[in-house]
Amino acid sequence: MVRLDLVEMTSREVNQQLKKLIGTEPDIDIYNPHSIHNFATALIGDGKVTVHGSTGFYTGGFLEGPSLIIEGNTGWYTGDNMMAGEIIVQMNTGSNAAPSMVGGNLVIRGNSGSRAGWGMKGGNLVVCGDVGRWTGKMTLGGRIVVLGRIGEGAGESMYNGVIHTLDPGVEEKLGGNVRLIPIEDPEKKELEALFKQYDIAQGVDDFMSIVPAVYGRHDYSLFEPTHTPKSSLPKSQARG
Amino acid sequence: MSEKGKRPPRVKDVQQGVWTPDAIAEIRYKAQLGKHRIRGCGTPRKLPHFDDLVVLPSQLTRMSIDTYREHCETQTVLGARFAKKPLVIETPIMISGMSYGALSKEAKIALARATDIIGTSINNGEGGLLPEERENSYKQVVQILPSRMGFTLRNIEAADALEIIVGIGAKPGLSGHLMASKITKEIAAFRQLPEGIDLHSHPRHGDIFGADDLCLKMDELRDVTNSEIPIFLKLAAGRVWEDVKIAVKAGVDGIVIDGAEGGTGAAPVVASNHLGIPTLPALVQATRALEDMGVKEEVSLIVSGGIKDGADVAKALALGADAVALGTGAMIAMGCTVCLRCHEGKCAFGIGTQDPEQRKKLNIEKAAQQVANYIRGMTYEAVILAKAAGKTKLKSMEREDLRALTLEACAMTGIPLMGSNYTFGEMFGFC
Ligand SMILES: Cc1cc2nc3c(=O)[nH]c(=O)nc-3n(C[C@H](O)[C@H](O)[C@H](O)COP(=O)(O)O)c2cc1C
Repeated sequence: MVRLDLVEMTSREVNQQLKKLIGTEPDIDIYNPHSIHNFATALIGDGKVTVHGSTGFYTGGFLEGPSLIIEGNTGWYTGDNMMAGEIIVQMNTGSNAAPSMVGGNLVIRGNSGSRAGWGMKGGNLVVCGDVGRWTGKMTLGGRIVVLGRIGEGAGESMYNGVIHTLDPGVEEKLGGNVRLIPIEDPEKKELEALFKQYDIAQGVDDFMSIVPAVYGRHDYSLFEPTHTPKSSLPKSQARG
Repeated sequence: MSEKGKRPPRVKDVQQGVWTPDAIAEIRYKAQLGKHRIRGCGTPRKLPHFDDLVVLPSQLTRMSIDTYREHCETQTVLGARFAKKPLVIETPIMISGMSYGALSKEAKIALARATDIIGTSINNGEGGLLPEERENSYKQVVQILPSRMGFTLRNIEAADALEIIVGIGAKPGLSGHLMASKITKEIAAFRQLPEGIDLHSHPRHGDIFGADDLCLKMDELRDVTNSEIPIFLKLAAGRVWEDVKIAVKAGVDGIVIDGAEGGTGAAPVVASNHLGIPTLPALVQATRALEDMGVKEEVSLIVSGGIKDGADVAKALALGADAVALGTGAMIAMGCTVCLRCHEGKCAFGIGTQDPEQRKKLNIEKAAQQVANYIRGMTYEAVILAKAAGKTKLKSMEREDLRALTLEACAMTGIPLMGSNYTFGEMFGFC
């Protein structure tokens, strides 16, 4: 096991150190991370990195291969453009987790902010707590799983991919161009395996899936008047 | 008309004023469909342009350089601010980002080959990097767009330079539009989209919510690239002076300014016609911002939008650009007629289409050679002007070599009106 104390290191220095160690040291322990930004950027190879504390923005960006465990919280953009491997955040993340994620697993044990899984293209994003608004906005692929409550605008304009949710009020919170369907059997099996891998005690039967509404055309409106035109009222109610 | 037999003139016969045939056609379009029109190619509006400037020839104040026998350096180095391996190209004329999707695979390959023939760079544009483009290109710029379609670490590894795009001149503040006719099975698979969808990408990056984040993002990308390759940032011309300063602060190696006359595969007409400022004043503002910050020599400046010939290149360089980028011009060299219907995907020349039958019409070898010829010819033209102005390096063109033909150009650029050494408005180095 290698121990790195970040107390006086810049993120550039940390990442250069990590790049040297990864692949040769199976276990790397990080102390005093002082919410450092850009932690473990483009770290490629096998090995486990455990952070005893919290990291800042862009944690694990472009990560490809390693297992990254953050015992505290992470900032915005955790798992940015992540390629493969896993990131486990034991507490909460800021907004925009897993933006444009390509592959791998990002597991957040606590809550995540708004826009989790923005433009995701692959991999799994699992949030054990709640998520904010516009989860899975414009995803191109991949799977988002939310065990807690989901915010408004869920799945806005998804192109591909799926969001599994347990939120009983989700129907009222769907974004545009998506629909809600029951989870399918093969998906249940995949979810079970995922939960088992990360020791998540949660059944899979009650999940609903948010999927793109229409394959082929999205519907947008740039102008939404709130009044009711006279012409659409029954004659008896129309005035003037 | 009182004359017997002649009908009185109708509004549509009056070819001036507000109700031009164009205005009438636009009203009819909206009246029928209840929505805005989407069109290809950028704005057809007449905008102030580099043609409003002339180059002053050398006579007795300086010696001219022999057009045909003496050398004038054209090699251009871009992005040397922080990158260990700046982008080195043989002419300051690059090919700008045009997506595989808006353009056919054949057109992308032809453009890439042209860059190899002439020694310049191509830019992949939205929707991923076509392997055939990379195989054929001389220098490859890879865009980082909000949509990130087809974008992975592998693209970065394949790049000679990166370009974060914030906006393009044809639709600043808006996002990529790719109409259903172009989202074939192949394009859909390449971009991870459902087939036949009308694509409206997002204008903001999911991983850059504001200028502060951009600073961190730059650090992240430096880590990813080990600071080897340059990172440019592409801005649509709007509040250029402020935007350029923010980009410099964020740590970019170069800035691409795309003026309002810039081309596109598809954009709302109202956006192309009414958003942003033209390339000429945008370039002046960008240069001024870099000079204000004392980084003009450090940060590369690339301009695009309506660049058509070597005179534009020479004048752009004189106004502070280090290079220019071509979109529409390169398409025209391949056979495009600027029919404004790029968005329909039916291009009869096999350029702006995904239709397998139409695509066959583009002869890749011929098109590549034509684009290379065009860039060579443009470079010749720029060199002719530079030598006549007494320069042995194209990049030595300076604003003192220019005069404005119109009062408007004089006020806009700060370049003195022809026949004078005086200007008004913001001074831009003259008094
Ligand atoms: C067919 C076509 C597709 C384009 N696609 C992109 C793109 O994917 N990304 C981008 O940044 N700009 C795109 N542009 C804009 C060009 O990069 C460039 O800014 C513009 O064409 C320059 O103006 P010009 O056409 O007058 O030379 C596209 C332009 C055209 C004509």
